[in-house]
Amino acid sequence: MEGKPYSRRLLELEERFEQLEPLIPEGSEKEAISVLHGIVQELWRNLRSGGPAPSTSELTLSDIAELHRRAPPMEGEAQSIPLPVGTQAPDITLQDPNGRLVSLRDFRGQLVIVAFYPLDWSPSCSDQLSLYQAESGEFDRYGAQLLAVSADSIYSHGAWAAVRGLTFPLLSDFEPKGEVARRYQVWRSKDGFSERALYVIDKDGVIRYSYVSPKLNHVPDIYELYRALDGLQARVHGAPEVAGKK
Amino acid sequence: MNAISIHRAGRCAPHGAPAAPTIAPIVIYGTAWCAATQAVRRHLDRREVPYHHFDIEKNPAAAARLRWMTGGSLRHPTISVAGEVLVEPSLREVDWALSRAGLI
Repeated sequence: MEGKPYSRRLLELEERFEQLEPLIPEGSEKEAISVLHGIVQELWRNLRSGGPAPSTSELTLSDIAELHRRAPPMEGEAQSIPLPVGTQAPDITLQDPNGRLVSLRDFRGQLVIVAFYPLDWSPSCSDQLSLYQAESGEFDRYGAQLLAVSADSIYSHGAWAAVRGLTFPLLSDFEPKGEVARRYQVWRSKDGFSERALYVIDKDGVIRYSYVSPKLNHVPDIYELYRALDGLQARVHGAPEVAGKK
Repeated sequence: MNAISIHRAGRCAPHGAPAAPTIAPIVIYGTAWCAATQAVRRHLDRREVPYHHFDIEKNPAAAARLRWMTGGSLRHPTISVAGEVLVEPSLREVDWALSRAGLI
């Protein structure tokens, strides 16, 4: 542990406060105490952080990156069943934000994670792809290449990648719209965008993990993806196959 | 607290696997499908900072406790760092709180 240690007194008080919760009958008094606690915590938080940033008329890059927080929600149940594990992965050859063609075949001999997501700039997609950017070092350790696919144009992908600092390939399934997503059985024809889905493809081009989020705004559990990758590595080293969750 | 899971990940341990019990004054309330919750958890994993994690959809008592602490909100992630409760914090804000508490 480094630096100044935390206040044990505060921690004890918070723990005591938590312990009181089940002992207080439901009702307006309990709600009032809870609201007061919330106010104290938020006031303290604002004091610690120096309060909200001063308003300015200039739109910053950070403002644009945060637009998804005020965007209309993206909701809906999954409509698709992904291709099963063991299937030969269909071809993917799509343009990246620079207009260069990127093909699944380019990565033969290594693991590939294909992340289909509905749309750039949308609420859950923004957080999902930023999460994957933060995980790039871990993907590297697995020897896995991430390819993210949506039906957006290369220009939208370029702007979105720049704003969010995304360095992995964003591929445009733009024309014919959703053709690759259809091949992977994750296209939502009534919506005009894909499911939120993950595939892991092995070095021989065979699907070893497939997953469609049950709800559009649900981002696949990264820990489950890592369990699947761990299972694949174990399989490569002779252990029994670990089936991916559907 | 009941149904505690304590995490200490990073590459030295399986992702999100329970570590040996230890005092972790950090508690994360969230859901398995929330990208921001995953981002906070993985951020702590990478820093090898242990934490308790509660999935509020699988643990009604944890959900009730979260509602109690936040004035009725179930927004996630909410993270308590040594008694400092942060509702939907940025990773930078989490780091500030960890630093103030001397946990990094």
